[in-house]
Amino acid sequence: MSRIISLDDLRQIAADFIRAGGLAVAPVPFDNDRVFFQYIDEEGAGKIVLSGWLKAANTIKDFFFPRHEKLFSYERIHNDVVLADAPEFGKPQLLFGCRPCEAASLPILDKVFGWDYQDRFYQSRRRMTTVVTVACHKSDDDCFCSSVGGSPENTEGSDAILYNLADGTFEVRPVTERGEQLFEGKTSESTKTGKACPPPPVRFDASKCKTWMDGHFDSPFWNEHALRCVGCGACTYLCPTCHCFDIVDEGSYAKGNRVKNWDFCQSALFTLHASGHNPRPDQGARQRQRLMHKFSIYPDKFGKILCTGCGNCTRHCPTVLGVKPFLEAIEEQED
Amino acid sequence: MEYQEYQLRETAAKLLEEEKANVVIGYGLSKTGKVVPVFITRPEDAQKLVWNSECHQNLVVFLTRPEVKRLGKPAIVVKPCDARAIVVLANESQIMRHEVYVIGMVCEGVNEDQGRPSSRCAICYGHYPQNVDQVIGEAEDAPKDLSKEERRKTGKYQRIEEIKALPPDERLAYWKREFSRCVRCYACRQSCPLCYCNRCVADKNRPARIPTSASLQGNFAWNILRAFHLAGRCVSCGACSAACPAGIDLNLINLTLANAAEEQFDHLSGTKVGALPLIGTFSESDKEDFIR
Repeated sequence: MSRIISLDDLRQIAADFIRAGGLAVAPVPFDNDRVFFQYIDEEGAGKIVLSGWLKAANTIKDFFFPRHEKLFSYERIHNDVVLADAPEFGKPQLLFGCRPCEAASLPILDKVFGWDYQDRFYQSRRRMTTVVTVACHKSDDDCFCSSVGGSPENTEGSDAILYNLADGTFEVRPVTERGEQLFEGKTSESTKTGKACPPPPVRFDASKCKTWMDGHFDSPFWNEHALRCVGCGACTYLCPTCHCFDIVDEGSYAKGNRVKNWDFCQSALFTLHASGHNPRPDQGARQRQRLMHKFSIYPDKFGKILCTGCGNCTRHCPTVLGVKPFLEAIEEQED
Repeated sequence: MEYQEYQLRETAAKLLEEEKANVVIGYGLSKTGKVVPVFITRPEDAQKLVWNSECHQNLVVFLTRPEVKRLGKPAIVVKPCDARAIVVLANESQIMRHEVYVIGMVCEGVNEDQGRPSSRCAICYGHYPQNVDQVIGEAEDAPKDLSKEERRKTGKYQRIEEIKALPPDERLAYWKREFSRCVRCYACRQSCPLCYCNRCVADKNRPARIPTSASLQGNFAWNILRAFHLAGRCVSCGACSAACPAGIDLNLINLTLANAAEEQFDHLSGTKVGALPLIGTFSESDKEDFIR
C-alpha cells in the first residue's frame, strides 16, 4: 500500500502552513514560460505547479543562503559606534517542490556552513525548514546526477519525497520524522505507486576526472576549453552548491549595514589583490578553480563531491559551458 | 543556409591556411548538439563551423577578451546585427578594424533556445551585413528590411509603448517585478560586446559606486546604470536578454534609449563608420538650448 495526496490537498498544506505563521516557498510560474521558487502567500498556494517543468529558473539556496543578507547594522552616535545584530531567522519555513538534485545540495552546504565557523544565518534557516521534494519525471541533456552519486529519486536533504502519479495525485514517501509530521493524517491509502524516470546516462567518471585534474594543474587544457566562457556568474548563482560570498558595508559614514552578498569565482575581480596581482589571471584558471573546488578540493576535505549533477551551470550558461561539457572533455584527455 | 555553411567553412580554412587569420571565431556544436562559440585555429578544423538558425549568440564579445586576443589575429563570423557592434568597437578605439577579418552572414533570422525566435530579430534593422570584409550569402535570399516606420509597428516596440503608457506607479511595479529576479550574475554585461570596461563601475569597491547587493535598490541601480552607459551605443543585438538566466527582457530598456537616440538625433548605433559617440559630443543643431 502507498500513501497518496491530491495536488489541491498539497496546496492546502502550504496554505495551512502559512496561516499557522510559517513561510512557504514553492515553484510558481512567472509570466514568461519560466517557473521560479518564491515566497508565496495563502492565495499563492493555489498557483503552485509541481509538473510540466524540469528545473526552475532560480535555486533553492536563495532560501537558506540568500543572495543578499544583512549581518548587522552600525550607527555612529556621538563618538560611539552602536552595532545591532540582524535578528535570527525565526519562522518555520516549508520548501515545496524542489528536485532531488537541489535538496541534495543541503547536506553539502551543511558541511561548509557548520565546519569550523558555525554560520548562524545559514543554520537557523536550515533548522527551521522542511523540505519536500518531487521525484523527477524526466531528465534532459544537461542532467548528470547519476555521474555524481545522485539519482532522480535521491532523498538526501529531503524530509519527504513526492511521486507524480499523473492523475492529479502524488504518492507521498516521508523520509524524516519532520516529513512524517507534515503529512500526518493528510494522505489516503492507495494501491498506486509512483515511479521516477530512469537516471540520465553516466556522463563521466568523477574520480578519474579528479585524478586528471590533480595532475594537470598547469595544463593548457584549461584555457583552451574556457575560451567560450564569458566570465559571468550564471553558473555559480544558479548552482545549488556554490556558496562563495563577499562581505561589504553599505551606507554612509554615519549609518549603514554590513551585508553578505553572493560572489562568483568566474569574475577576474574575485581574486584580484590590492597590489594588482591576480593569482587567477585568466578564465582557464578560474574555470579550473571552480571544477577543482567541486571535484577535488571539497571531496578531499569532506569526502563528498561539491556537485549534485543538476546541470543548471550548463542550462543557464550563455555559451552552454558548465561542469558537464568540461568533465566530458577531461575524460577524453589521453594523458 | 547549407550553402552558406559550406562557403563559410571554405573561407575559414583559406584564411587560416594563408595566415590571414590565426583564429576564426565562429559557431560550432556542443556534444549535445547546441550551437556554441568555437575558436578554430587549424584549417582542417574549419569543418566544425556551422551556420544555422540557432546561431543567436553575438560573438563580437570575444574580440576584446584577453584569452582570445592571445590567439593572434582574429577572423569573426557575424550576423548583420553583430556587425554593428564591431563598428562601435572600432569607433571607440577598442579594436583596430584592419586587424580583424569580419565575415558577415546574410541572415534570415535566428532562434534562441527551444526554437523561440530571438528577441533581437523582432527589431531587425537589416538582414544584409554592412561594413564587413566578406559577405557570405546572397542579397536576394535576405528577407526585406523593415523601414523605420515598419519597425515601430513590431511587437517589441508595441511592448515598449505599452509600458511607456502605464501610469508611473504601474510602470515602477512592472520593473520592480522584473528586477526582483535579478541575481547580479552580470551575464548581461559579460555577454555584451560593448560592455568592455576593464573595471566596471559595478565592481568598484573603493568606494563602492553602486550597491553590489542584489536587493531591489541595488538591482535598479545596476540595470538602469548599465542601460544609460549603453545609451546611443547599444546596437540592440539582444545578447543581454538572451543571456539573462532570470529571463528579464533587458533589451526593452536599451531599445527605449536607442529609440530616443534615433528619434532625437537620427543616430543609429553601429551603422556609421567613424561616427562620434552620441553622448560625449554635441552639435549646434542639438535640440536643447543649454548647449548653445
